[in-house]
Amino acid sequence: MTLTRREILGAGGGLAALSLSSSAVWSGEIVEIEMQGRNDGSQVWFDPIGILVKLDQAVRWTNLNPGNSHTTTAYSPKNSGRPLRMPRAAKSWDSDYLMPGESFSVTFTEQGVYDYYCIPHEHAGMVGRIIVGEPEANGWTKLAGADDGLPEEALKAFPTVEDIMAKGIVRRA
Amino acid sequence: MKKLALAVVMTMASSFCAMAANDVTKSPPTAPYQQVSKLVKLPDFLPGMGQLFVDPATLPAGPFLAYDHDGKLVSTIYMLPIKDLNPDKRFDNLAAPGGNVDHVDVYYNAGHPGVEVPHAHLVLWHVSVADEARVAK
Repeated sequence: MTLTRREILGAGGGLAALSLSSSAVWSGEIVEIEMQGRNDGSQVWFDPIGILVKLDQAVRWTNLNPGNSHTTTAYSPKNSGRPLRMPRAAKSWDSDYLMPGESFSVTFTEQGVYDYYCIPHEHAGMVGRIIVGEPEANGWTKLAGADDGLPEEALKAFPTVEDIMAKGIVRRA
Repeated sequence: MKKLALAVVMTMASSFCAMAANDVTKSPPTAPYQQVSKLVKLPDFLPGMGQLFVDPATLPAGPFLAYDHDGKLVSTIYMLPIKDLNPDKRFDNLAAPGGNVDHVDVYYNAGHPGVEVPHAHLVLWHVSVADEARVAK
């Protein structure tokens, strides 16, 4: 896995050109995930919330929420002792707070299922799931270690592995 | 004589209150208030709220003082974690230094740096509903 340092996007940021579709996910381009929220902060989310990518493909998160800061943080003991919800061999990541317009990228070099969250919004269910390649769909969290300590809102928000495998992209309901 | 003394005391108290209010009506308010964007990683001006100041010792409840682009006080905001709205917790005697209140808003917030849990924003607006537009963007 390769992590890139934060970058501040200029106005527009080229995001429109990289809007997601199933074909884009498999085209080898950087996959874009938006960090979004209502202006009053009552709702926050990753868009898409679930996505299937290829091995060695890069994912870029961008904060498009003008009134809030967000993080993309892997569930890993290396991030404040959080439970492992990603392949053991993969390197964890934590973007730290991204201000509006900032972005953070990760290249996934290990096949598997990766769960991540936004530090200030985990309790509001702002989590996401990335599937890299074609991992075993059943019981992976049991093998990896855990739902322990995750807020109920976060556990409820994850799209299923099966749904992501079937659709490629899952957006928030 | 007693009436005169009472009048003097009331005048002094009134002046003191006015001074206290004056301390916060223009940005930046004096210590212990600090600029929220310098305490945590948040934009300096939050759409819908404005530029926020808080005494860190009062977190998470506040009060947070919110100013418009001209540095004028528009609202006083309290941030009350949802998990703390229970039979065993109270928020008593929260400071209210902003003066007259025009109207009040209460709404849910999913969280942000500084108050990283879902909470309620209780907003005492010191300006009219129409003037909320001063902090809309």
